[in-house]
Amino acid sequence: MVKEYGLVVDLERCIGCRTCTIACKVEHGIEVGSGIRVETVGSPHEDTPAGEYPKLSMTFTPMTCMQCKQPACLDACPTEAICKRADGIVLIDEGKCNGCQECLPACPYGALVFDSKLGLPRKCNLCSERLDQGLQPFCALCCPEQAISCGDLAGPDSVVSRAINQRGAYVLRPELPAGPRVYYCPPAAPRRI
Amino acid sequence: MTPARSQAGERVIRTVCPLGCGIGCGILAHVKDGVLTKVEPGDFAGTSHICAKGLSAPKLVYHPDRLKYPMKRKGARGEDQWERISWDEALDVIAANIREIGQKHGPNSFAFVTTGVGVFGNLLPVGFSGAVQGTFILPAGAGDSAGPCADQLCYGSLWWFGEDYPNRFSHPAFCLVWGNNPAQTEPFKWKRIRRAKDMGAKLVVIDPMFTTTAAKADHYIRIRPGTDAALALSMMNVILSRRLHDISFIASRTQGPFLVRSDNGLFLKEKDILPGGPDDYVVWDSLSRKPQNCNVPHMQGALTGTYHINGVECKPAFQLLSDVVAQYSPARASEITGVPADVIVRLAAEYATAEPAAMYRGLGGTRGSIHGDLSFRAMNTLAAVTGNISVEAHAPHQYNQALFLTHCFPAFVTLLQAYEAIASGKPHPIKALWMNRRNTLNQDPNFNHITRDLLPRLEFIVATDMFMTTSTRYADVVLPTSSSFEFCDLIAPIGNGSHNYLQVQEKVIEPLHESKSYLDMFAALARKMKIDGFLDKSAEDYIREMLASGHPSMDGITLERLRENPMPPAPHDLPDFGTPSKRFEFYSERLKAFGEELPVYREPMENHCGSLSARYPLSLLSTHPKYRLHSMFANISWIREFDPGPALDINPADARERGIRDGDLVRVFNDRGEMKLKASVHEGVIQGVANVSQGWSPSDYAGGFHQALTHNVINPAQAAVYEPNAAYYDVAVQVERVQEG
Repeated sequence: MVKEYGLVVDLERCIGCRTCTIACKVEHGIEVGSGIRVETVGSPHEDTPAGEYPKLSMTFTPMTCMQCKQPACLDACPTEAICKRADGIVLIDEGKCNGCQECLPACPYGALVFDSKLGLPRKCNLCSERLDQGLQPFCALCCPEQAISCGDLAGPDSVVSRAINQRGAYVLRPELPAGPRVYYCPPAAPRRI
Repeated sequence: MTPARSQAGERVIRTVCPLGCGIGCGILAHVKDGVLTKVEPGDFAGTSHICAKGLSAPKLVYHPDRLKYPMKRKGARGEDQWERISWDEALDVIAANIREIGQKHGPNSFAFVTTGVGVFGNLLPVGFSGAVQGTFILPAGAGDSAGPCADQLCYGSLWWFGEDYPNRFSHPAFCLVWGNNPAQTEPFKWKRIRRAKDMGAKLVVIDPMFTTTAAKADHYIRIRPGTDAALALSMMNVILSRRLHDISFIASRTQGPFLVRSDNGLFLKEKDILPGGPDDYVVWDSLSRKPQNCNVPHMQGALTGTYHINGVECKPAFQLLSDVVAQYSPARASEITGVPADVIVRLAAEYATAEPAAMYRGLGGTRGSIHGDLSFRAMNTLAAVTGNISVEAHAPHQYNQALFLTHCFPAFVTLLQAYEAIASGKPHPIKALWMNRRNTLNQDPNFNHITRDLLPRLEFIVATDMFMTTSTRYADVVLPTSSSFEFCDLIAPIGNGSHNYLQVQEKVIEPLHESKSYLDMFAALARKMKIDGFLDKSAEDYIREMLASGHPSMDGITLERLRENPMPPAPHDLPDFGTPSKRFEFYSERLKAFGEELPVYREPMENHCGSLSARYPLSLLSTHPKYRLHSMFANISWIREFDPGPALDINPADARERGIRDGDLVRVFNDRGEMKLKASVHEGVIQGVANVSQGWSPSDYAGGFHQALTHNVINPAQAAVYEPNAAYYDVAVQVERVQEG
């Protein structure tokens, strides 16, 4: 049975600590930028709330490569350096990449960063080398809130499938043809006093 | 757990991440060819934790700017001109100064101040200052001491970051986080709150700032800084008027029924009414309608009323508390705190009726006012009158902390009293200072006063650190210290924001450059000064001796077992309240002289009140950073990508009034100093308050420095109980736009 890897990010748990951002830098040696960043959605600045008191909210949303079923970056790459594995993981073959950066604006999620030191685009590969050894992605291991989980979308009992079925996890920009494989569990509704 | 495993020439060693924050997360350090390549979280206490800072550890350890060898000052202090010297010469210079300053100015003229997470960084400077007849500066007054001051009075114990009694419930139904941001600063406390919320507890956050924790709350309540006592008293007002208080707890576990004499404000004792009688508290027995010794069984001590005993008017302590509480109607408290009256009423009702309600106090609540101890006393009393005091509290490990006090005890002064000691010579003539990896000049208040008035009075300054800091820059001799990956240490948890596991920090790499561990450094100096029989053992031997304290909490804990698994304290009898009455105490005879025998509300010294308001209408907070640790990690480029530099958080209404737009350069000033930085205009800060994340150094600002605005004023009531607290957030300022170009 071929696996179909996906991520689930629990927005109720995410505290926007950016441990994932640094974990990705550590694991993949990314000096500038990271394969996963954290956005404070709808707020004027990072780590500040949206809305007006008393109706304030602050939702941290980790953004990473969505491992799309139809990756726009892959289509945009003139050197066929971007490929998709059988298990759905989208990879950049650095040997084939010419550093033209066509892929960066093509991604509707802004998931690629350009590593100016290496002259190459970088993005999340779900830590495929760790997954192949039976380890979870490094950001998921390091997340202090266990807000990030990686699992098999094809398996009905996987952590990702359960999140979709039980928590109503959703994808970002579902109207696009991309078919993202990163799901978000919504934060719990507040119960005011 | 396997402490170490090998793969492909790489060793993985279980150690602790004590880069400075005191949480002490267990980590796995990867080492290849003697180089620390990576850290990852290690399992312990059934969980694991690591953060952006901890993961950046190799960046810090191998940072190009690390201090590499001892240096002595060329040019004037603060000019940052240095000459490399050998350890031998550095120790000669220091030893000579310790001797000469002692001869010239007498004992206790050489002072030491330290920050450490491991036992060596914390305890060696105490022992060494004793061995050379110096003075040790107690550091809790740097914003952390008002809570322990209140807890000493209420519980009779100095719970550091003291949250034990009101929050140690296994299954709270209601979590009240008050002036605390554990989702950002206390991960293990946050894990407990998260678990409670997952199991259905409601989470309410009270804070002047919309914090990371507030973002996760069911309800966020915004409060003016320093007015927490008024809110707690008003919640009690609602609770008493609705009879939601826990009469049984008040009667049996607090001083509530003990009679207080109206003539002198002291407790009536049986010996007062029965010559030669015992020194026991007296209650009014409602059943027999006469006074009784509090220890007499089968009686009912009245909690309210006025009684005349041998011609002396007396009232139960709870009656006196009720009289204070009666003054804080929700309407009046709303005017003081800015919290709407209906919110106070609903909050009080939910807090009092939840079974149980846990309260998580940070230290923010105690920094917003020079009277921060009163804030905590009122909050503690709120927990007590509703019976929300947990008896599930754990007692920490009691290892032998006096190990290095082998020669004689140093003199002790508190941090804020050290300012006075340097300025006036009282109580000790401090003429020299050793800052042991404590960035005192960056983190302690009133920077301009320190550099202008105090440092010139010091004849000699030593600083030890991993980097050139605001403090080392003003030193005469600078010594490079090893990182926590370069020496073995014992890491004890600090307070309840952490876990309760004792751990061993392993030496995973050799000391880099010419850096030394605290033990190697002080031992070399002790040899140089020919202090016999002092610091002549290995780190491991000292750790073994510390573990063998004989206290029941240490039963079965050995270095070898700790290396296999971190260990909680062995089960042992929990101490009862350590107060004179062995009960929760809301009434303090010793603070009668200050008019603070009860947890009254006092206006802050500077914040939004008094004559200063016209000139300096805004309160300045300097809250703890999310991505840095005090002044550490600001030099890590990875962190700077998302935490680029200081910004002034200011409410849109306050910004508009001053013609300030988001991103403008602004000047923040008061009579003590100023700082220039970019404005960040947003709703996350209450109107009337401005905030800067602390820890930034003067060089990070467009001008000035946030510690130039803070003050070192001592609250004498706190000094009478414990170490007086620096009221970092009781600071009035004005903000104006800087015309650029």
